[in-house]
Amino acid sequence: MDADSDVALDILITNVVCVFRTRCHLNLRKIALEGANVIYKRDVGKVLMKLRKPRITATIWSSGRVMCTGATSEEEAKFGARRLARSLQKLGFQVIFTDFKVVNVLAVCNMPFEIRLPEFTKNNRPHASYEPELHPAVCYRIKTLRATLQIFSTGSITVTGPNVKAVASAVEQIYPFVFESRK
Amino acid sequence: MAASPLLPPGEELVAIAVFAWPRCPRLCAAPGLPCGRPLSGFPCLGAAPCATPGVAGGQRGPRGAGPPWASSCGPSGLRGAVRGRSLDVLPRVTCPNHPDSILVEDYRAGDMICSECGLVVGDRVIDVGSEWRTFSNDKATKDPSRVGDTQNPLLSDGDLSTMIGKGTGAASFDEFGNSKYQNRRTMSSSDRAMMNAFKEITNMADRINLPRNIVDRTNNLFKQVYEQKSLKGRSNDAIASACLYIACRQEGVPRTFKEICAVSRISKKEIGRCFKLILKALETSVDLITTGDFMSRFCSNLGLPKQVQMAATHIARKAVELDLVPGRSPISVAAAAIYMASQASAEKRTQKEIGDIAGVADVTIRQSYRLIYPRAPDLFPADFKFDTPVDKLPQL
Repeated sequence: MDADSDVALDILITNVVCVFRTRCHLNLRKIALEGANVIYKRDVGKVLMKLRKPRITATIWSSGRVMCTGATSEEEAKFGARRLARSLQKLGFQVIFTDFKVVNVLAVCNMPFEIRLPEFTKNNRPHASYEPELHPAVCYRIKTLRATLQIFSTGSITVTGPNVKAVASAVEQIYPFVFESRK
Repeated sequence: MAASPLLPPGEELVAIAVFAWPRCPRLCAAPGLPCGRPLSGFPCLGAAPCATPGVAGGQRGPRGAGPPWASSCGPSGLRGAVRGRSLDVLPRVTCPNHPDSILVEDYRAGDMICSECGLVVGDRVIDVGSEWRTFSNDKATKDPSRVGDTQNPLLSDGDLSTMIGKGTGAASFDEFGNSKYQNRRTMSSSDRAMMNAFKEITNMADRINLPRNIVDRTNNLFKQVYEQKSLKGRSNDAIASACLYIACRQEGVPRTFKEICAVSRISKKEIGRCFKLILKALETSVDLITTGDFMSRFCSNLGLPKQVQMAATHIARKAVELDLVPGRSPISVAAAAIYMASQASAEKRTQKEIGDIAGVADVTIRQSYRLIYPRAPDLFPADFKFDTPVDKLPQL
């Protein structure tokens, strides 16, 4: 059953969020004026730079910390981050690419069956929380993996976790429980 | 009631007891001398040697041989206090003939009467209730009660300070018209926020007519959350509203978030957030809401008769069992069921009216109705009287 699930289920990674440091102070105004594809948010002190090649949006702070969102895989996130660091280097800053870390991975998975949510919640009491008035999905938290799954009645599941492996194992873990409460 | 009006509770009744009331002229204890026990119009329970029967105060059933305790002239109540004895002796009396029978307390006369034979076994029982009745429409300044409010030891940690009321005579105001005694300063600074929250909770519960037990549960929850301090940054009103929601759920009479929103100034989003945080902080969980929880409230607000309400309950339950409405909130399903039941009966209600009462948009009712419409004949209860037959139900 579990081996089947690995083969048959497609886990689609929709978003990877990563951060890195440039180890130097960045002049946001200069980036805003000279950089390409930038949005300067002066009120909050950020510059948004959107890359085309790996479709990535980077938030740059003047302290040198950069957060990248929008990548579809961990490698792509790293390429995008490096490319961003290179473009900052071209603008004249002494950029050193350090402390690269993938912070959050968001993935979507579709079960081939529909799920009975009230039954599922009753069987998985402490981990699952379901409030139909607030959100139509059951929120299932796995503490050990630090992953959160949102399970919808159509069978689609949204997983967020610290890295891709955690996301994959979360889906594997949840499969038997969800299978019990299928229609 | 039995105590003299001038008596502060808890104090020894020494002076009053001795002087205020007429003395019993009966001869007991020492022969030839009146026992001199104070009478308040009740039969004096003398010791055995007391000769005169039926004196002052009238009979109250057959009189017993005397008090069951050893001391010769020791009455209950007042005289006991006069001698400085504790009043704890009182509750342990029993009828001498029926030691197992329950004693009925006649609060108006201050007696404890044996329920088997009618013997008065304890008289002049002190009533510790309030001495005056205070109504809520009386002016607050006229409160004649000389003791403080009932303590709330569970919640406010024992605050015994006394508040002095506003002065009424001319002497209480100084030359400029300001009152001389400025009171009402911080009496419980540590629990001020909590008392404020309790007041707010009572106000909110009043608006939707919640019974006292839910309010008490809410207060308890709030106290637990407040002491834990894990939600310290959140607005107290938000936490109070969320506690109210949880209390209603726990008592088995859930209110929708929108209903709580209606009586609170906090947004539904914030109440929802606080709700989840409180459940995590107190490590409790609540039962899922079902469609039946809201039926009676929604139907009575719409003025629907009992048959329609029962039919709607049946429809909603069947719809959930047959899983015709996956992923729909139970409130929406309940609203759609009420719509279907009311349209099939003589008391028809529009989607807009139902949506107003339930707090659901009428398009939502329409969506849920479309899902249950195909199976309509199966959903109605078997004994339902159709005013509009099933096939003539509106199709949206």
